[in-house]
Amino acid sequence: MEPFVFVGGKGGVGKTTVSCAYGVKCANAGVDTLVVSTDPAHSVSDVFDQQFGDVPESVEGVENLDALEIDPEEEVTAHLDDIRHRLSDQVSAAMVNEINQQLEMAHQTPGAYESALFDRFVDVMRNSEPYDRVVFDTAPTGSTLRLLALPEFMEGWVNRLMHKREQSIDLFEKAAIGNNEPRRVMDGDPVLERLQERKEFFEYAGGALRNDAAFFLVLNPDTLSLNETERAISDLDGEDLSVRGIVANKLTPSPDPDENGRGARYLRDRVETERERVERVEETFDPPLVAEIAFRTREVQGDLLADVADELDVDVRAESPTFV
Amino acid sequence: MTLADRIESYRATLEEWLRGLYHGMITHPAYEKIEKEAEDAEDAFLLACFPDAFGIPSPVSYYTAELLPYIEDEFESWERRLWDRDSYIERKGQQYHF
Repeated sequence: MEPFVFVGGKGGVGKTTVSCAYGVKCANAGVDTLVVSTDPAHSVSDVFDQQFGDVPESVEGVENLDALEIDPEEEVTAHLDDIRHRLSDQVSAAMVNEINQQLEMAHQTPGAYESALFDRFVDVMRNSEPYDRVVFDTAPTGSTLRLLALPEFMEGWVNRLMHKREQSIDLFEKAAIGNNEPRRVMDGDPVLERLQERKEFFEYAGGALRNDAAFFLVLNPDTLSLNETERAISDLDGEDLSVRGIVANKLTPSPDPDENGRGARYLRDRVETERERVERVEETFDPPLVAEIAFRTREVQGDLLADVADELDVDVRAESPTFV
Repeated sequence: MTLADRIESYRATLEEWLRGLYHGMITHPAYEKIEKEAEDAEDAFLLACFPDAFGIPSPVSYYTAELLPYIEDEFESWERRLWDRDSYIERKGQQYHF
């Protein structure tokens, strides 16, 4: 299967549990695995009961498994600082203030958070050689979908910007009379260079997502979750991204057949409705249902994680990335 | 001074004047026009890069901000041009120096 696995779904359905369980499953099968969390709530740290940061750290007690937590807030700040640093190298003091204002504005736009997250995603994919498999525990559906649609959109935008820049430089070169130095020169133009770098970055991101990434959607057996998953499947298909499977999580366990108390009847009733919904998933959803995970009485951690991992009917073998 | 010399110097002066007139009336306005066009194209580029300077939110400003360290001159002249841009016709006809 593809080396990069993205686990998505509505908020609170158990994406982190499923990603960690799958990570453990791969690691136990001897596949060098990295689990990447993008959740600012740091739930991967909670699952493994261990603090993770911006650099991959090995998970205690599980061989072949590393984890990493991305903090978008920090990424935005780092990006801002990096540009500021280059700004003070290049730009005269008088203009720094003017440009700084523009810079700060750019980092407060709603898209900044997503862009920073996306940058780091791609960065992890690009530098994934030490691992055979990278499992991404993504943010809730809506924002993730927008994130994954980013490369194509950005590529188009960067192309337009490059075209405009080339046009103006070309005119400036033509406007230089005789031996006068043109105001802008096409050769070694730093702006075009940066844009070209960005273009390659988005090309890689788009290619890697389409060729080397598999998507799994987690759902709970309730109507809202089912509907959202259905929409997510069609959206991902529209982006040319392949959904490999659906994981049903938090299923109600059925009582023993000889029990007939109020609790047992309640459970039986619930199991009945949930059965119908799971059937709907099996019959009408295109990707296969790869796991049905029952509700646990306590948080999925430690041993329980290995239990859940066993329930996942997902291939663990990892192919190497094809799109480099 | 022989006649030949006088004709020679007359022709040199005439040529200089003609070149000056040609430059002043044809070439220079043409180059100025191209330069204006180049500036307009650059303005369009900068506007596409930083529309949030005008309150238009842009999904790419996070990435275009990376260009800021390299476009000091552009940025300054962009602001300057925005400040004293007159009507469209005036800008397009500036090279005729009415």
